[in-house]
Amino acid sequence: MNDGLFDQFKEWYEKRHDYARAWKARTGGQVVATMCTYSPEELLIAAGMLPVRVLGAHEPQNVTEPHIFGMFCPFCRDSLAQGLLGRYDYAEGVTLTQSCIQYRQTYSSWRQNVPTVKWDYYVAMPNDVQSPHSRKAHIAEVQRFRVFLQTLTGKEITDDMLRESLAVCDENRRLLRQLFDYRKETNPQVTGVEALYASITAQFIDKREHNEQLKKVLAALPTRNLDRPQGARFMTIGSENDDVSFMAMVESVGATIVIDDQCSGTRYFWNASKPGDDVVRAIAERYCDRPACPTKDYPAHTRFDHVLNLAKEYNVQAAIFLQQKFCDPHEGDYPDLKRHLEANGIPTLFLEFDITNPIGPFRIRIEAMLETLSEEELF
Amino acid sequence: MITAGIDMGSRSVKVVLLEEIKVDGAPQLNYAVKKAHLMMPGDIDADQAAEKAFTEALAAAGVSRDQVKSVFATGAGRKQVEFATEGVTEMTAGARGAVYMYPQARTVVDVGAEEGRGIKTDADGKAIDFAGNEKCAAGAGSFAEAMSRALQLTLKEFGEASLRSDKSIPMNAQCTVFAESEVVSLIHSATPKEDIAKAVLDAVASRVCAMVRRVGIEGNVVLIGGMVHNPGFVASLKNAMDVDQVLLPELPEFVSALGCALIAAERQH
Repeated sequence: MNDGLFDQFKEWYEKRHDYARAWKARTGGQVVATMCTYSPEELLIAAGMLPVRVLGAHEPQNVTEPHIFGMFCPFCRDSLAQGLLGRYDYAEGVTLTQSCIQYRQTYSSWRQNVPTVKWDYYVAMPNDVQSPHSRKAHIAEVQRFRVFLQTLTGKEITDDMLRESLAVCDENRRLLRQLFDYRKETNPQVTGVEALYASITAQFIDKREHNEQLKKVLAALPTRNLDRPQGARFMTIGSENDDVSFMAMVESVGATIVIDDQCSGTRYFWNASKPGDDVVRAIAERYCDRPACPTKDYPAHTRFDHVLNLAKEYNVQAAIFLQQKFCDPHEGDYPDLKRHLEANGIPTLFLEFDITNPIGPFRIRIEAMLETLSEEELF
Repeated sequence: MITAGIDMGSRSVKVVLLEEIKVDGAPQLNYAVKKAHLMMPGDIDADQAAEKAFTEALAAAGVSRDQVKSVFATGAGRKQVEFATEGVTEMTAGARGAVYMYPQARTVVDVGAEEGRGIKTDADGKAIDFAGNEKCAAGAGSFAEAMSRALQLTLKEFGEASLRSDKSIPMNAQCTVFAESEVVSLIHSATPKEDIAKAVLDAVASRVCAMVRRVGIEGNVVLIGGMVHNPGFVASLKNAMDVDQVLLPELPEFVSALGCALIAAERQH
């Protein structure tokens, strides 16, 4: 049964370029193509801009070969293709905060080869966020980005403006956490596809508008009755995965995706900032403290226990690794994370994702996984 | 009681009719295969192929449709078996059939026309983990078939030829199409056909072995699927997996259909 509760998020997701163009026409503000969820959006929002995370289109494309290696991850190639195809022609700026080398190549190719780019900025966030020196360095990098934006726009970004944008972002994070809390319940009233629509759109919709929509949904959830069987409770693990057709397939064969560790989901919004007088520090440290991407998770592997805790908290029966092909950071973590989960009673399934995915063979693997989980006597 | 298992593979349809039996003095013998029937669909639509193969199997066994209590389907086209009572995945069906035939088996390697997979199973024949090839035929039977065509050998000759070679020529290509051009290069450099055949089968075995290692090689290994008929592949796989013995069923392409028929029968109780 579809009661249309998440239709606004779905429409935003499907018509994200229309939304950005309309926002620009309405506000007169600049749109900034952001890469990676480590981008300090608070600064862009305070500068009156709309940060829009670049996503792929999950379509075959043939435009990236001259610019980026074929053995770089499909998400990076798909993202670059969107720029080269002119789908983000409304975005004046492009910015990347350092995560992996493949994304860096996407960013470099974008700023050089997408003709509509008017400015670019690279935030040199250290990967070794566990070091106190790196944290200091990142605070300085965020401050440097602030100065760049002030120079670019000719307008000061005051501490109060930053506090206000940080409050808006933190509210968005809290509301998404509240929404995801509903997925802990038995027979949750939020599906994995719906949760994906809600979390991914936060990455490119005006946060204030997104917050209002989240509040409407949260108000309606206590009385919602989805009337669908829960099936097995799955977790998804990976990098950027917004392949809705895959998620919908999983939830159509006897499962519900109840939680994730992905940058299209929880890693983006899981933690709010810590209060403090220094707002730049509060913004910068939130990114250092958030659930780590594998590129920023050493020497201690903090994400292994974080993922396991999520699995336990959400009563997960199995975890699916959505491994972007050639994504070295995630593939490097995979063997140890798989062992960690399985040693703690969470079986796993590994699927390799590309720009387009074979839903038929994947369906068979999901169904086989469900059969292995089945407590019903098969024979 | 008679039940049926239908394996709708990408190249052929396999039907097993299973009969429940009671043998005095041998209580472990619960079932007997009444008929195993294989049909290559040719240009028949997939949804008609299951019906045709099932009808042929019933006729060959002298069994009426009413006598069949339950039909379970598996394989890439199992959803197209409209008359099936239920369906199970190839992993579940393969594990069940293999462990029924070889109760000591705990690792099942299934290599068919378009997919290879490794399955870890428990003592009841329940699949507990699996891994398969992704979007690529280089770890499956159709790759060997394509390469045999490039060498102008029948599949039988291709497998036998590889056994005559003691060379190890690495195939570097990562996909079927590029591997074919590598084979053509070897032909042009006058490499003996048996050496090329062994190189191809070593490459397929290496791919399959890598998949099986993802689930872990434990206990006895049984190989099922059409590639069992290729002795060169079996030799290459044994070598790649570094195991002394690989159990080989007599009718390997029917093991998943058998597993299906068994599950269908056991669900009746």
